[in-house]
Amino acid sequence: MDPMSRFSVVPSGDESPEGTARHVPLEQLLRRAATGDETAFAQLYDAVSPRLFGLVRRVVRDPAQSEEVTQEVFLEIWRHSARFDPNRGGALSWMLTIAHRKAVDRVRSAEAARHRDEGYGASTQDVTHDSTSEAVVERLDAERVHRALTTLTPVQRQALELAYLSGYTHTEVATMLDLPLGTAKTRIRDGLIRLRDTLGVTL
Amino acid sequence: MSEDIHTLSGAYAVDALDDVERARFERHLAGCSDCQAEVESLAAAASELSVLTEVAPPASLRTRLLAEIATVRPLPPLPAPQDDPVDEAVRSAPPTPVPAPIRPAATAPTEPPRESPRESPSEPGVDQLDDRRRSRPPRGLARSWRVLVAAATVAVLAIGGFTVWRQIDKDPSRAIADQVLAAPDATRYGQRLAGGATATVVRSNALQKAVIVTSGMSQPPSGKVFQLWLQDATGHMTSAGLMPGGGDQVVVLSGDASHSKGAGITVEPEGGSDQPTSDPLAYIAFA
Repeated sequence: MDPMSRFSVVPSGDESPEGTARHVPLEQLLRRAATGDETAFAQLYDAVSPRLFGLVRRVVRDPAQSEEVTQEVFLEIWRHSARFDPNRGGALSWMLTIAHRKAVDRVRSAEAARHRDEGYGASTQDVTHDSTSEAVVERLDAERVHRALTTLTPVQRQALELAYLSGYTHTEVATMLDLPLGTAKTRIRDGLIRLRDTLGVTL
Repeated sequence: MSEDIHTLSGAYAVDALDDVERARFERHLAGCSDCQAEVESLAAAASELSVLTEVAPPASLRTRLLAEIATVRPLPPLPAPQDDPVDEAVRSAPPTPVPAPIRPAATAPTEPPRESPRESPSEPGVDQLDDRRRSRPPRGLARSWRVLVAAATVAVLAIGGFTVWRQIDKDPSRAIADQVLAAPDATRYGQRLAGGATATVVRSNALQKAVIVTSGMSQPPSGKVFQLWLQDATGHMTSAGLMPGGGDQVVVLSGDASHSKGAGITVEPEGGSDQPTSDPLAYIAFA
């Protein structure tokens, strides 16, 4: 599959999770889900599933496995909805963290790693944010993130993308980018700090 | 080692640490509020990147998921940490002191009886305690809630809500594991298991101890346990204690590991055996 096609986006507007989040707070939907409210959970799913599925799909790549992982992720969100602590960050970030961890766990398991190596190999390195900009340029949120990414050094950006979007360990990232051992983790951290400060991420 | 462990916060926030580094950093994180705050903010920043990868899932996924959640009960909330003086004490405690040298007698058993029923049999391992919380005595209802926390989601909850980290106690085996994982002479030996699980043994000859870090382990069959072994130069296997199944585990192997030539995991009857009675699930050679 053409790696670019994975960057297709949902239409902007009311369906975007950010837009929905502004109207129906995700925190509220989570709280209702915690009481066993399946309707609230369905609303939550509709609001955030493109974000979660897209991230899982980007990391895992295999469509069938991506669906499996996404289903596990939402099941976990359902089960742990009462344990979300709004004082420790936003609901969307909490859910994305769960999704990312599960996606990474999946690709690091032997079987999935084999599939990925056979199917994609080094092509992952071709995916940079520049290749995605056309598809998402009309979306304000995406534009904002793109702009923030341009404040990173090229190495910081590449290291962060290989780690977060492709699910590689910092050691693997160091090898891929020809960085001295142990410096990729610093690049990732520096890149994240700059991204955080540029985006004005607050908890 | 410990002087640069803070710099792992970024890689941790984007799940870019391997199993052993992750275990090590999570132990550090439990006692470092600076790192906790940093990890939270960096994870939030990273999650913003997902706006670049949005793609709508197929409608069939929604149908399957909504059918599935209808059969699964959400877990109850964790009790508020402020109501728990023990946790407050743990949270405000200084980072784990380093009682060196380690004496073998300090190795606590890591396999107390399981006190909590599994909530969802369809999810093997998810309700399994990890060794740290397992070795704490249950304290009423609040405690039994905690034991339901999925080992696999500990890190997630660490970011989403640090409640979990406040539960971490200072049992001796945890302190030993911390030291071994951070030891200057720590050497790791890893192996993948069937089904995608991984087991890595980290050994420090200076400390004479070894720690096993597992990821993605299944549960042992009903009525059975996972048992750890150290093999000496003559090939003789000595029990190194029991290991909980499921999720991610960090367990100190009991006994002096400095002269061992390998470690094994077998499935044994409840309570363990004096000698292995089954072929090993994994044998990790220290070479």
